[in-house]
Amino acid sequence: MKRKLLSVLLAGAMVLSLAACGNSGTSDGGSDGGSSEGGGSEGGNKLTVWAWDQTFNIKAMNMAAEQYKKDHSDFDLEVIETSSDDCQTKLTTCANSGDYSTMPDIVLMQDNSYQKFLKSYPDAFTDLTDCGVNWDDFAALKQSYSMADDKHYGIPYDNGVCAAFYRTDVLDEAGYKIEDLTDITWSKFTEIAVDVHKKTGKYLLTSESTGGDVIMLMIQSCGANFVNENGEAYIVGNDVAEKCIDLYTEMIKQDAVKLVNNWDEYVATVTNGEAAGVINGNWMNATITGIEDQKGNWQITTLPKVDGVDTATNYANNGGSSWYITSNCKNPDLAKDFLVNTFGSSTDFYDAILPETSGIACYLPAGESEVYNEPVEFYGGQPIYSTLVEYSSHIPEFTKTPYHYEAREAVNTAIVNITNGTAKEDALKEAQETLEFKMSE
Amino acid sequence: MNSNKKGMTLVAKQKAAGWAFLTPATLMIVVMSFYPMVRAFLISLQTGAGANMRYAEPIFSNYQRMMADKVFIKSIGNTFLYLLIQVPIMLILAILLAQLLNNKDLKFKGLFRTCVFLPCATSLVSYALIFRSLFAQEGLINSILVKLHILESGYNFLGNAASAKVVIIIALVWRWTGYNMVFYLSGLQNIEYSVYEAAKIDGANGWKTFWGITVPLLKPTIIMTFIMSINGTLQLFDESVNLTKGGPANATITMSHYVYNTCFINVPNFGYASAMAFLIFIMVAILAFINLKVGDTRD
Repeated sequence: MKRKLLSVLLAGAMVLSLAACGNSGTSDGGSDGGSSEGGGSEGGNKLTVWAWDQTFNIKAMNMAAEQYKKDHSDFDLEVIETSSDDCQTKLTTCANSGDYSTMPDIVLMQDNSYQKFLKSYPDAFTDLTDCGVNWDDFAALKQSYSMADDKHYGIPYDNGVCAAFYRTDVLDEAGYKIEDLTDITWSKFTEIAVDVHKKTGKYLLTSESTGGDVIMLMIQSCGANFVNENGEAYIVGNDVAEKCIDLYTEMIKQDAVKLVNNWDEYVATVTNGEAAGVINGNWMNATITGIEDQKGNWQITTLPKVDGVDTATNYANNGGSSWYITSNCKNPDLAKDFLVNTFGSSTDFYDAILPETSGIACYLPAGESEVYNEPVEFYGGQPIYSTLVEYSSHIPEFTKTPYHYEAREAVNTAIVNITNGTAKEDALKEAQETLEFKMSE
Repeated sequence: MNSNKKGMTLVAKQKAAGWAFLTPATLMIVVMSFYPMVRAFLISLQTGAGANMRYAEPIFSNYQRMMADKVFIKSIGNTFLYLLIQVPIMLILAILLAQLLNNKDLKFKGLFRTCVFLPCATSLVSYALIFRSLFAQEGLINSILVKLHILESGYNFLGNAASAKVVIIIALVWRWTGYNMVFYLSGLQNIEYSVYEAAKIDGANGWKTFWGITVPLLKPTIIMTFIMSINGTLQLFDESVNLTKGGPANATITMSHYVYNTCFINVPNFGYASAMAFLIFIMVAILAFINLKVGDTRD
């Protein structure tokens, strides 16, 4: 009898908790629907946002809402935490079904994936060209990620400017200064990296073997891409591409780069001290500054540049994001006004979020403010924020492609094959064919 | 109408009741399974990026396209490799474990059964992530091998095509053996003990009893587990995505993973993805059909 009672109780508890799950699910949906329905009629001052990262994007968005509320007391904003991958999957599902009503009003999206969405779902996003933002306040490259046919669709936000982060204590140990690594070429970098590895056992560069970004920022720092101006696959016969792939495979052969299999391992090399250098977007700052005991040992400088290419620079961009207004937004004027007055034109706003989120703005005037020029203790007093904003103004433009991820995968596959002994010509030919195939329908 | 109903015989009434009970389930299966299948087939005849879908020209061009898709062909190869190696190992292990745990004199049977079944209670994603960290270059397995002086430094299991496949197979065996064992165990318990006794009296040893009695009587269960395993392996997804991301250089990518990439990572091409998904469906159907025919004992 007791047993029966217990099992009934347990079953009851389970059903209740499941029902609670269901309830919270519907309440989410309800508020979603509420915002989209409310858009037209009763006031309609609530916006919903999809964004990821509580400490960074979401925090900044909430701070923006607070600032905007000062002048618009009836304004309301709800951020629904959605991981970057989920944002893409959910948007694809909503947009492909043709039912936009489940989309939020504002969505944060990776710069690298926006061209793909614009090509696939041209009606899903709102044209922001005339929303009142002075577009010259943003770097040309950053704007171009969210543009098509000279129209603007996104408000640039998270800066993807890349920097080379080095451990000065490790460099010291190997007999180098940060200046020795400033404005150098990749072949010089390889030389130093091999030497540092020999002397200290630490790597100056880590990269993911599948889907690694290093090769992408190498070619993009030359103002080139694995597609030509017409957007066609351009790997075979592309001198710049071949030079980048040569340099990169050479680094792998000489063990100048530590290859890892996934992002966890990538971050682990930094936190466990195996990596004495990180070359990636400035957002790695959050990971690096999280390691308290390495305080004062890190500094940033420019990237190495590709040897023997006229257009090569020491600057590149990787993995920033921007805000977009979807077609589901019933009150686009409010959404535009909100974004323009915060992310689009407010230096005060950027000054306020910097200490809280250490997010670097794409808004160029923000880089001149005092907050940005303050020395950062973690980096031995280097004023890294203004330095990074300055770097971002030098990044060359290049041809974007909706097939960014396909190109990256094809080239990374070729690189793995080359290091495993496939002849370079064959590997590149295969990459070219794969990319061409994926671009066809 | 009313008078007709009153005139229903008992058999007719029972039949009507039977249909009444069947209808809701049938309707739900039709709406949730068969309708999507038909839609998927129609979508598989269309082409275009994202929302710009149109019927393909010629109509089966997506199916022809698969033949030219090197990555997809590679993913078919990978999936069938998993199938050919992993399924037999897993089922043999499962049947042996079931045999062991069915022993009448074994103590703590419940505990052992729970232990063997427990892996199935873990979520696919979390166990894949755990295996990923176990086999990482600084993971537990490498640390043990280095400490035991078998290796000098950590081996990059997931960065090497052959070893990455082995890791996936090990993970699959770990996750699914207990699941199949439970079916065998229930099958074994349906075999009368007197049959074994009779065999013992006739002087059959353990091996002979196993092949002469256990296997033939378990045949329906074995066929069912085979079909389920084939079905599951052909649709393998979580392990490829979470353990290896399909890498290195697509050496471990499965068909379903590639279908997913085509929809959600690359420029979305739902037409082509549906066509590939449909091919997987046809493969499962054919293999299940062969399996049923081979196992059919009716003459």
